[in-house]
Amino acid sequence: MSAIEKHNVRTAGSGERVMLFAHGFGCDQTMWRHVAPRFENTFKVATFDYVGAGGSDTSAYDADKYATLEGYAADIVEVGDELGIQGGIFVGHSVSAMIGALAALQRPAMFSKLVMVGPSPRYIDDTDYVGGFSGDDIEDLLVSLKDNPLAWSASMGPAIVGNPDRPEFGEELAESFCKLDPEIAYGFARATFTSDNRADLPKITANTLILQCRDDIIASQQVGEYVRDHIPKSKMVMLDASGHCPNLTAPDQVSAAIRDFV
Amino acid sequence: MSQGLDTAPCGYLTYDEKGRILETNGRLRDWLETTSDELKGSHVTQIFSMAGRIVFETSIAPLLTLKGSVDGASLDLRATNGTKIPVLLSAECTGSGSERVTTLVLLQADARRHFERELATARAEAQAELSMKQREGELREQFIAILGHDLRNPLASISSAARMLSSEPLSDRGKEIIRLTQGSVQRMSLLISNVLDFTRNRLGAGIELDLSDGKELEREIRQVVEELRSAHPEREIQLEISKQESVRCDVWRVGQLLSNLLGNALTYGDRAQPIQVVCSTLNDGALELSVRNGGKPIPPSAMERLFDPFVRSTNHDDPRGLGLGLHIASEIAKTHGGSLDVSSNAERTVFTFRLPNR
Repeated sequence: MSAIEKHNVRTAGSGERVMLFAHGFGCDQTMWRHVAPRFENTFKVATFDYVGAGGSDTSAYDADKYATLEGYAADIVEVGDELGIQGGIFVGHSVSAMIGALAALQRPAMFSKLVMVGPSPRYIDDTDYVGGFSGDDIEDLLVSLKDNPLAWSASMGPAIVGNPDRPEFGEELAESFCKLDPEIAYGFARATFTSDNRADLPKITANTLILQCRDDIIASQQVGEYVRDHIPKSKMVMLDASGHCPNLTAPDQVSAAIRDFV
Repeated sequence: MSQGLDTAPCGYLTYDEKGRILETNGRLRDWLETTSDELKGSHVTQIFSMAGRIVFETSIAPLLTLKGSVDGASLDLRATNGTKIPVLLSAECTGSGSERVTTLVLLQADARRHFERELATARAEAQAELSMKQREGELREQFIAILGHDLRNPLASISSAARMLSSEPLSDRGKEIIRLTQGSVQRMSLLISNVLDFTRNRLGAGIELDLSDGKELEREIRQVVEELRSAHPEREIQLEISKQESVRCDVWRVGQLLSNLLGNALTYGDRAQPIQVVCSTLNDGALELSVRNGGKPIPPSAMERLFDPFVRSTNHDDPRGLGLGLHIASEIAKTHGGSLDVSSNAERTVFTFRLPNR
């Protein structure tokens, strides 16, 4: 099976350069539905699902490969190769910011620009570094995900039908809407929240834009500044939005900032 | 807020589009051991445990934005004193843009969480057990397949040695020994075929058919009967063939089927009564091959599982074989698109193979 099928890659738009949008932990490519289409006039836009999310091929899951973010980065490289991406733009939300950075380190020619929405190189506090969570917090999260796969899948997994109040979310979502395989979601959570990519930041050569929200408890402003200070060619834009998902709550601002950058 | 909602047995909370808490009910404040003033204006995620905050921000908040509501999500609150309170959360958004208000309803879910944990553990154990058993089963079947295959070569040597010896001048006792040897070789050969067919079937390959026009079938039937007669000279096996049309089939397989049915009749039938093999063509051109024996009827309780593998008679003093003969015979019948039926009463037990002519 091709990486394009495996990851349910969807492409649109007609530009020369490719923009690849990657979702974070907890959802699937639907995360980008308010942002990605706005770039179709000028770029070839691609969105995809990591294995275990949305419409991906869950049989491709390999617990060893996906024990670290490198495994996810290898998938980005595979998708990028199949789409023939050279000098493209990678837009990663949440943990995908670091996954994209790892992919860019593996294939420096693939992405000339990186957009990181709510990035964090390490979620767990360390000496002189404030990630926002203690080791116990993350252990607690993993235990609760492990303990509770039924509730997890029941709340996140079920198909939804069209929402009559908001017709723009049509029937197409019925099968895939932040759908997660609970076992795989657990593995993804472990890989994500125990990651430490601080040492990789200085090696990034691509131009990098960091989009930071206020009051983001997953990736605080302090963490965003850390990322900015350690990636050589980077800048940070503060969004007038709170929470961790400005791609959903403030798509206008996110799109404008990305447009200015690209 | 109404008195009813304030003290209802559920937590209630509303927050604005920036996540700031607008209103809470008394019940929720009791759970959290906090006051209205402390909660009002603080961020909604403050009421959750750290793990709950991550789940809320990465999964529930996006769903609420996309879908407008979430039902029955499971996470933990954290009281001021650090105690964790498992809850079920349902949420719904009203209004849009800066007017958007989200309402949360929380139900205590201690018992449910406990139950889910037990279910999750039981499922994990069952899965581990199952995959271990499956691995073991596959290994065993592969082992049997290889064993069966390897047994064939020495058996073929014994068979040809016996055949060569039988053309030498021998004493009567020597001839009898050769006859018994050939009978044993033949039984063992059939047993190996059955075991191999069974494991192949289990490993997913199915029983292979080598279909021909069936002209050789009569010869094959005579030969099978002849071989068994010579292996069991003390038993009477009557053969009646009134076949007119030839039927498309795998001749060797039908021979194997007959051999299995005869083996069954020889083992379980009354030794004093003859076994009858009848082969005929019906009006519609179908082939019918039946094997009849006298003796004790098959108990009704055994009928249901008669063609299952490894089923052997329990009322027989000397159970022999693996219990694969009837199973393989019925698989051969099925693979041919035919049927294998049985009737059994105090007078006789009859197995009938019917093969439609197509």
